[in-house]
Amino acid sequence: MKKLVINRRGALEISFSWIFAIIVGIFILFLAIFAVTKIMKTEETISDVKVGKEIGALLNLLETGVESDKTKSFDVPAESRILNRCHEEGLFGDQGIMISQKSFNKWTEPEIESLFKNKYIFSNRIEEGKTFYLFSKPFEFPFKVSDLVYMSSSLTNYCFKGLKGSSGLKDIENDIEKLSQGNLHLEESEEKCPDNSINVCFNVASDCDIVVNYDGGYTKKDGETLYFVNDALMYATIFSNKDIYECQVKRLMKRAKSLAEIYSSKEVFTTRVGCGSNVGLNYLAGMFEGVKSSGELSNIPIDDVRMKNDGMECQLW
Amino acid sequence: MVKRGQLKIQQMAFMLIAVTLFFVLAGMFVLVLKFSDLKKTALGLEDKNAMLLVSKLANSPEFSCGSAFGTSKINCIDSDKIMMLKNYVQNNKDYEDLWGVGKIQIRKIFPKEGDGLTDIECEGNYPNCNLITIFEKNVALGSEQSTYVTLCRKEVDEGYIFSKCEIALLFVYPEDRTNE
Repeated sequence: MKKLVINRRGALEISFSWIFAIIVGIFILFLAIFAVTKIMKTEETISDVKVGKEIGALLNLLETGVESDKTKSFDVPAESRILNRCHEEGLFGDQGIMISQKSFNKWTEPEIESLFKNKYIFSNRIEEGKTFYLFSKPFEFPFKVSDLVYMSSSLTNYCFKGLKGSSGLKDIENDIEKLSQGNLHLEESEEKCPDNSINVCFNVASDCDIVVNYDGGYTKKDGETLYFVNDALMYATIFSNKDIYECQVKRLMKRAKSLAEIYSSKEVFTTRVGCGSNVGLNYLAGMFEGVKSSGELSNIPIDDVRMKNDGMECQLW
Repeated sequence: MVKRGQLKIQQMAFMLIAVTLFFVLAGMFVLVLKFSDLKKTALGLEDKNAMLLVSKLANSPEFSCGSAFGTSKINCIDSDKIMMLKNYVQNNKDYEDLWGVGKIQIRKIFPKEGDGLTDIECEGNYPNCNLITIFEKNVALGSEQSTYVTLCRKEVDEGYIFSKCEIALLFVYPEDRTNE
């Protein structure tokens, strides 16, 4: 009470040393708060990037061998948004993953993108939740180009309608049954579809969010048409939005072009042991390069090339 | 002559500087610890990626046998295709980035080639060699991850074409970015 003296008029008299201490104290406090905020932000970014990288590493497990159709699920430490990004530039383009986690009831600003050149994830632009499902299917066109990964949040349920009893769609029904993925439901099964499901319709006209015309090779969703040429791409049309889908198709064509050129070299290389063939892979590589959208995929003579390869003494793939 | 009040201010200023310095140093110490931990985490993630990649790489389209040697096999690498891939990667350096690792190599271990002690890199001497370095980036490499694979190719004997499969090890080396 020596320093703070209330004079007779009621005014507070503070000594210079107190003023000095308060000013410097405030400065130090602000500095500390600034540093803590910065560190917290860095920590959040580190955590986001770590989750992104771990997802990327996990995707390696979905590489299919003889077996396929695997479902994997993963949990993230906090409620998260996975931002699926696709970049077409470069030899193979890039699969980008950005993570935003909920911290103090606010979403962190995703800053650093984890990039993978050999991954193809089909999902909505943003998937939100704590548990995410992944399954993969090999994309063969006509040789295996890559495994396509379909990612969805456990909070988003898909209800498949019109598969039961349709002979042409038996394989898809079996696929979904075999996957036993928590958020994929068959309408006709004993377990009814949850009320908030996204309805995926095959041969059904009413109450549909996504309409798949299997024979026509296209899917209609959100007023847009996405084209497919095989089951792997059909699933991709269901789980991803148009931008992601078209970008990934272009990336797949880039990879297919490189593989066609490698197989073409192999075709020449194996003539040293007497394997002769003329599958026409250079022509195919040229066609892959020319693909600008999924609508052009059906113009590529895949079946001819497949038949030529199957009929050879030394098959290339 | 220094007054008593001035002395006290000086004392306090020194004290405050000392306290600030202490916190700054303590903060820096914590940050250094954090970042060394971060480097370890980054290296751990690269290792994990390499470990998971090597277990599945043989089944990726650039490596796998597919049905070229009969029925589909797992962990079967088509060595004819790999030689073409090696040439392709040499001409398209961007291909090296496809798997996100620093080096990929295949070493045939049975039957042994040559004296069995020295590695013979496969170039024009194929298939009389035992080491195929598909690519090696000019970066620091982490510790390798490996897995056993079957290495198959087409051979000819008296006009009869047949598939020949041997045992090999597939090595994947992650990039070591801890010094960047």
